[in-house]
Amino acid sequence: MSETAQKLKPLKTWSHLSKNRRRPSEYEIVSVGLHFSTNDPDCAWEQDAGTFMNQWYRDYREGSPVNHEDWDTFRDPDELVYRTYNIIQDGQENYVDGLIKEFDDLEHDQGLQTEWVDALSKLYTPGRYILHGLQMASVYLAKMAPASTITNCATFQAADSLRWLSHIAYRTKQLSLVWPDYGFVDNEKHIWENAPHWQGFRELLEKALIAYDWCETFVAINLVLKPAFDEACLRQLGHAARRFDDSFLGFLTDAQAVDSQRSRRWTSSLVQFLQQNEANQDVLDGWVEKWVPLGDQAIDMFCAALPDSPSAADDAKRDCWSFRAGLGLSA
Amino acid sequence: MALLNRSDWYDIARDTNWTPKYVTEEELFPKEMSDCFDVPREKWETYDEPYKTSYREYVKVQREKDAGAYSVKAALGRMKFLDSADPGWKSILKLHYGGIALQEYAAGMAEATMARFGRAPGMRNMATFGLLDETRHGQIQLYFPHEYVSKDRQFDWAHKAMHSNDWAAIATRHAFADIMSGRDATSVALMLTFAFETAFTNMQFLGLAADAAEVGDVTFSNLISSIQTDEARHAQIGTPALKILIENGHKEKAQKLVDIAFWRNWRLFAVVTGPSMDYYTPLAKREKSFKEFMVEWIVGQFERNILDIGLDVPWYWDTFLEDLNTTHHGMHLGVWYWRPTVWWDPAAGASPDERDWLEEKYPGWNDTYGKCWDVIIDNIKNGREDLTLPETLPIVCNMNHLPIVGVPGKKWDVRDHYLDYKGRRYHFGSKVDRWVFEQDPDRYAGHQGLIDRFLAGKIQPANLEGALKYMGLQPEDCGKDAHDYAWVWNYNKPDKVAV
Ligand SMILES: [Fe+2]
Ligand SMILES: [Fe+2]
Repeated sequence: MSETAQKLKPLKTWSHLSKNRRRPSEYEIVSVGLHFSTNDPDCAWEQDAGTFMNQWYRDYREGSPVNHEDWDTFRDPDELVYRTYNIIQDGQENYVDGLIKEFDDLEHDQGLQTEWVDALSKLYTPGRYILHGLQMASVYLAKMAPASTITNCATFQAADSLRWLSHIAYRTKQLSLVWPDYGFVDNEKHIWENAPHWQGFRELLEKALIAYDWCETFVAINLVLKPAFDEACLRQLGHAARRFDDSFLGFLTDAQAVDSQRSRRWTSSLVQFLQQNEANQDVLDGWVEKWVPLGDQAIDMFCAALPDSPSAADDAKRDCWSFRAGLGLSA
Repeated sequence: MALLNRSDWYDIARDTNWTPKYVTEEELFPKEMSDCFDVPREKWETYDEPYKTSYREYVKVQREKDAGAYSVKAALGRMKFLDSADPGWKSILKLHYGGIALQEYAAGMAEATMARFGRAPGMRNMATFGLLDETRHGQIQLYFPHEYVSKDRQFDWAHKAMHSNDWAAIATRHAFADIMSGRDATSVALMLTFAFETAFTNMQFLGLAADAAEVGDVTFSNLISSIQTDEARHAQIGTPALKILIENGHKEKAQKLVDIAFWRNWRLFAVVTGPSMDYYTPLAKREKSFKEFMVEWIVGQFERNILDIGLDVPWYWDTFLEDLNTTHHGMHLGVWYWRPTVWWDPAAGASPDERDWLEEKYPGWNDTYGKCWDVIIDNIKNGREDLTLPETLPIVCNMNHLPIVGVPGKKWDVRDHYLDYKGRRYHFGSKVDRWVFEQDPDRYAGHQGLIDRFLAGKIQPANLEGALKYMGLQPEDCGKDAHDYAWVWNYNKPDKVAV
C-alpha cells in the first residue's frame, strides 16, 4: 500500500500466462495450472501432512520416478475443453443414434447367424466390465496427474469409456430381446470372470488398476491396455463382425475408434513431453517391458476365441508394437 | 427389436462390479480411499442413484446448457455491464470467482475419488458425470472473469487465489480439504455431495443468482443458475450412500461426518456469502437477507432432508441458529478492517439507509456491530483512515482459519476456545470448531495456520508488509473500501432521519 510502490502494467491475460507473450486461446485460459495441490510437494491438501491422502499423493504423484521441470507446460494436441468435448461427442452420439435407428429398421439383429450371436454373447457384451475398468483407471489418472492439462485428457477418456459401456449395455438389451436364449444381460459377468479369452485382459486390468503411481497407470492403461483393447476388441472384433454380416458392430467399433485415436494423440504428446527429460526414458522403458507381456497375453487369449480370425492376434500385437515403437519405446 | 428407453438398459450399465482374482479386493479398494465404514460390497450393490442420466443425454443437455450460458455472455457485451456495475457487486464477482473456480475443479478430483474408489457402480458412473460437471464449473468460471483482467488486476485472482497463501485461500482450502479432497469416496459422498451440495450450493448459486438478476447482471445470474442445475444432479450421489450406511448400523458415524461438513461449510459461507448478500449487494437490489436465504435453503430444506433420511439435525443446531444472527456480521467487520489482505474491495454496507435495513433484518445490529462502525465512521470523518487499517494480523481459528469473532457491544462475548494437544495449544473460534478438531485430531494437528507460520518466522519481514507479500498481494491487488468511503459522508446529511 505504500504510495511509492511501482504501478504494475495492466494484464492481458492471467498473470501465470503473461510470460508467453501471445494471446492465449480459450483452451489455455481455462485449462492450464488448475491444480493447486501440486504447489507444496510435501502436502497436497491443506491439512496435516501426515493424513492418508497427503501420504498417497506423496507416494504416487510427487514420489513418481518420472520428473519434469514444469508439468503445467503440457498441452493436449486437440486442445479440448469441456465445452468443445460435449459439442463433438453430441455429434458423435447423433451418428450412433442414426446407426441404431437404421439397423433397427432393417431388423438387423433378427438376421444374425446363430454362430455370431453366440460370439457376441462371449466376445462383445462382456466387454462392459473392461470398459468400466478403463473408466475407473482413467478417472484415477485424472485425479493423480501432476498437471490439469493431463487431468483433462484423462477425464475425457474416462467419459469415453462410459460412453462405450453405455452402448454395450444398450446393445446387450436389444440382443436379449431378439435372442433370449444366449445369456445376454445375465451371463456376462460369469463369462468375464471365467471364460479363458477374457482372463488376460482381466489380469491386465486388475493389475493396472492398482498400479497407483500416476505415470505407471498412464503407461499400463494408455500404452498397453487401451491399445490392446482397441486392436483386439474393436478392430479385430469389428473385422470378424463384418465377416459374419454384422456391419452394425463394424460401424460401432469404427465410431469408437475415433475416440481412441484422440486418446492416442494425447498419449503420444505426453510420452514426448516425458521424453524431454532424458532420465524418464529408462523409467518408461522399464514400465513398458513390465506391462507389454500382459498386454500381448491378453491379445493372444482374446483373439484365440475370435471366430474365423487366424491372424487377429498377430495383427493386433503388431499394431500395438508399432504404436509404441513410433514413440521410441522399447516394446 | 425396438428402440429402447434409458430404463430398459440402464441397470446393465451399472452391473459392473466383479470379484477380483489377480489382486485383492483390499488392494483394489483400499479402505482409506474407498470406504472408511467398511460396508461389505454386496450391501453397496443396493445403491440406487435417484437422478439418472445416460452419456447420450448428458452430452446433449450439457452442450445446450453451455450454448445458453456462452451466448448470453456474448450477446450482452459484458464489459459494459461491468463498467457501470456497483463496486460492491464487482467485489462479489471477484470474491466468488477467486474462492470458487479452482475449488470447483478440485471438487472434480473428489468426484474422481468416488468414480474410482466408490463401492457401487451407480455411484462411480454418477461421479464420472460429476467429474465432468466440475470440470465445466472450473473452466466456465475462469472463462467468464478472464476478460476483466485487463481492466482490473484483482480479477487475476480468479485463477490465482487458490494458488496463494492469502488467508481467505487458506481457509477455503482447509475447509474443502476436510470435506472432499482429503477424504475417502464414501465420506466425499456424505460430506461434499450431501452436506455441501444439497445445502450450501443452493445459497451461493441460487440465492446469489436472485441478487444478480436484481442487479441486472444477467450473465452472472444465468451462469450460476446453470451451474446449479449440474449440482442438483450430482448432489444426489450422497443420499443413497447415507441410506446404506444407516441400514448397516453406521448412523452415528455418518451423522458425525455430516455434522463436521455442515459446520465447516457454514463458517465458510458466513465469510463468503454472508457479506456478499448483506453488505456488498447494493441495498435496493437485495432479494433477501443472508439469514432469510439461510432459513429458506438450509433451515427449511436441508433440515427436512436430514430428518427424512433418518439422521438428526446436528447436535449444535441451536448454536447454529443463534449464529445466523451474528457470525457473518463479525466476519464482515473483520474482512473490511483487514481489507488490504484480500483480493477484492469490501463494501462497508454501513451507510445510514443500509443500517436501517440491517437493523430491520437483524434487530439489535446498531447496538452491537453498529457501534464498531460508528468508530470507523468517526475516524474516517476525522481524516484518520490509518486508524481503520490494520497493523498486525488477526488471531485466527485453528479449524476454520478465519478471524475469531464475537458480538461487540454490551455483551461482548469473544472467547478463545482452546485445546492442548500433544504439547501444542490450538485456538478455536467456537466450541463446535474445537469439537471438530477433537473428532480426528491427527487430521488437523500438524497443519500450520497463518499465525503459526508468522510465529515460526516463515513470514518476513514479520509485519503486515511481509504478510501481504507472503499472501501474494501486490499493492494493486490489495482490497480497499469499495466506495472510497463515499458512504461515510451520507452521515453529514442532517435530513437523513426524515427520509
Ligand atoms: Fe460445481
Ligand atoms: Fe458440485
